[in-house]
Amino acid sequence: MSMPSVTDRMPRRAAGVAAGLFGLVGIVVVASLVAGAWPMLGEPRSVANLIGAVWDPLRGRFGMAPFVVGTAAVTLAALLIAVPVALGAAVTVVHQMGALMREWTLRVLAVLTAVPSVVFGWWGLQMVVPWVRNRVGGPGYSLLAAGIVLALMILPTLSLFFAQSLGQVPKVLREGSAALGATADQTLLRVELPVAMPALVNGLVVGLARALGETMAVQMVIGGQTALPRGLADPGATLTTQIFTDITAFPPGTAGHAVLDIMALLLIAAMYVLVRAAERWGGL
Amino acid sequence: MEPKLRVENLSVWYQRQPALKHVTLSVEEGEVLALIGPSGCGKSTFLRTLNRLSEEQVGVRVTGSILLGDLDIHQPQVDVTQIRRRIGMVFQAPNPFPFSIFDNVAYGPRLQGAADPAALRKIVEQSLRQAALWDEVRGKLRRPALALSGGQQQRLCIARALAVNPEVLLMDEPTASLDPLSTAKIEELVGALRGQYTIVMVTHNLRQAARVSDRTAFFLDGTLVEVGPTRQIFTAPQDSRTEQYLTGRFES
Amino acid sequence: MGRGRRLYGLSAVLAALGLAGFALVLGSLLKSGLPILTWHFLTSSGPGGIGPEILNTAVLCAIALVVTVPLGLMVAVYQGEYLRRRSRRVRELDHLRATLMSAPTIVVALVIYRVAVGWWHWPVSLMTGALALAVINWPFMVAVSRSALASVPDSYREASLALGASRFETVIKVVIPAALGNLIEGIGMSLARLAGESAALIVTAGVNVSQHWSLWGPGETLAVHIWYIRTEGLVSGRDAEAAATGLTLMIGISVVLWLASRAARLFGRSQGGYDGA
Ligand SMILES: Nc1ncnc2c1ncn2[C@@H]1O[C@H](COP(=O)(O)OP(=O)(O)OP(=O)(O)O)[C@@H](O)[C@H]1O
Ligand SMILES: [Mg+2]
Repeated sequence: MSMPSVTDRMPRRAAGVAAGLFGLVGIVVVASLVAGAWPMLGEPRSVANLIGAVWDPLRGRFGMAPFVVGTAAVTLAALLIAVPVALGAAVTVVHQMGALMREWTLRVLAVLTAVPSVVFGWWGLQMVVPWVRNRVGGPGYSLLAAGIVLALMILPTLSLFFAQSLGQVPKVLREGSAALGATADQTLLRVELPVAMPALVNGLVVGLARALGETMAVQMVIGGQTALPRGLADPGATLTTQIFTDITAFPPGTAGHAVLDIMALLLIAAMYVLVRAAERWGGL
Repeated sequence: MEPKLRVENLSVWYQRQPALKHVTLSVEEGEVLALIGPSGCGKSTFLRTLNRLSEEQVGVRVTGSILLGDLDIHQPQVDVTQIRRRIGMVFQAPNPFPFSIFDNVAYGPRLQGAADPAALRKIVEQSLRQAALWDEVRGKLRRPALALSGGQQQRLCIARALAVNPEVLLMDEPTASLDPLSTAKIEELVGALRGQYTIVMVTHNLRQAARVSDRTAFFLDGTLVEVGPTRQIFTAPQDSRTEQYLTGRFES
Repeated sequence: MGRGRRLYGLSAVLAALGLAGFALVLGSLLKSGLPILTWHFLTSSGPGGIGPEILNTAVLCAIALVVTVPLGLMVAVYQGEYLRRRSRRVRELDHLRATLMSAPTIVVALVIYRVAVGWWHWPVSLMTGALALAVINWPFMVAVSRSALASVPDSYREASLALGASRFETVIKVVIPAALGNLIEGIGMSLARLAGESAALIVTAGVNVSQHWSLWGPGETLAVHIWYIRTEGLVSGRDAEAAATGLTLMIGISVVLWLASRAARLFGRSQGGYDGA
């Protein structure tokens, strides 16, 4: 890059200030959460309290395990359902559609990524919760219901990323494989998926982050129970839904609110880890 | 002697557009046949119908027959993967998979279920030797194939094709993207493989055709103009269009 | 055919399954919501009408966009045009952006609640909601601008710089015009995302509509309305009303995305950019 010319000095400074402000937002987010969480993080006794399984704020018990378990279970269930379906959709889009049909499908998928999460929550209440109640048992409000709703919610995003990843595999590689006598399935498994893997991982991380951070769609169907769930058909809560329900119940400054800040910090840390993992193993 | 490949009245269309018209041509066992002709005359199309790679594309229609021995390979009940094992292909630009050198060569045998490491190692070594690449890559078989030079990559692709033990080898301008030295190596290699394999090679380089081929076929606008011993095509072509092409009076 | 294509068959079945899921969502939404989706419903306030919610949604999205489009573009220009490629600061800003972008919106709400409501004594209001949306959308706008600017070939920049233009002139006269199509498409995508936001707004903008509309009064949006009447509300016919609100929101979002893609094509959107994260 050459020497900054005179006309560049002001704009460069303005853009730099914007970037600085952006960094400041990041700092404020983390700092305010740390400040809020500080009273709880300080002493060893409260740390033991935090990793416990009992959530009973009235008695001062702030075990976060039920929410960590809930978050992990719901996210995992969603991915287990959505990833195979999205892969199937991607293979279909890339290999079994004409150009025009493919373009339209991709456009529709892009629109579906923007469907608001409350719409999925509404549908979950309408169909998934009753279905779980009738078919699996329990109250219907459950980790399973939340997983199903989330799976559908991240499906367009995953499909779009997967289709793009597979579509990027050079045609000469597919032909090279076919010319060696590979069947379509063999080419898919042995060339296309391995070659597309970094990009696929990337898409997976984006879907994972969306599932991990979703609040409303999950909150509407998960039941909000704060005891440690024993199965997928049990109601439960996740880190995000618990922050949501307690944010106004515990005003800032209380111990309860401090625990919410800790949960938020956990979520941010998880996202940062995902970002770095995607950078390391993904195709960005 | 029975020809290795017998192409009869072959026509190919992309959508409605004809690309090959009534081509009839035989390839003898163990010979090197060069295909020459101006750009867009249908050489690649011809080659890609010989191993049915054409059908990987939508909208391609093929009529006529192609006999490999006495098997008509375009009959729908014929297993296309079997055909492609018997008829290997090398592409214009080297297209190694982004795997290791070893995994590239072992790719074909593994498709057929080969899993025994010792046997695979033997096939890989033998194929790399045949492709005159062994001396350059021995001890580095776990390195990524994409770290090789362009010429080495192309020889790797030849080794990869040889590893499934084909009878026929199709080569579509295999040296078009290579430097003169690598080109010379590939030409030498083709000379060494002659006799053992039946080779059909497209080239834009007339001197290359003259150097390596036994017979030459000249295509123009989707038709086969003439085919004959290379020496005769180059010195005494029967058709005036062939002569015009050879003396550079077509824009290419 | 057929041989060795079992995975393709399986894929088609799975794709059909996904399609069926969305057909169920859209089908039940249409079935419940369409009958009561009338002009009166769209324009009136109070129970059985969502006029104020439409207004609040539009105002919140507008404020958030007006703030974040220039700010996002500036950060992206700083990263992409002024800093050296692959420098440490570029990477740090990228990490920050990606982390903030995937941070749950409820976490942003938690921060805004402490800072704006707690420290600055802002009321739960449209203004507070707009602040939350701005913080949510800024990283998204940076990402959109980054990829739009990156889609412009370097040769354009070099040609302009070689003619003696400054970096700034190059950005204004060459890079941004060339990236405009992708920018517009990305702005459409971010608008759609903002219109669907609910969690953060329930906390910061509230679940009521005020009698005397003001930026400092509570401002329930469409998405929040769906949640509120379906889970907290006690009105009869709440399913239908929630569904009709959802339909309204979906139609609005589709129109926005459609307009954005039309406009984007007008300004020469470049190929292969369907990567709205
Ligand atoms: N996939 C395709 N779809 C439509 N038309 C095609 C396709 N591939 C080739 N063609 C057309 O078929 C004709 C023959 O093409 P082909 O690639 O076989 O020529 P070629 O002799 O190999 O040319 P070159 O020497 O440039 O490689 C050309 O007119 C070309 O435009
Ligand atoms: Mg060709």
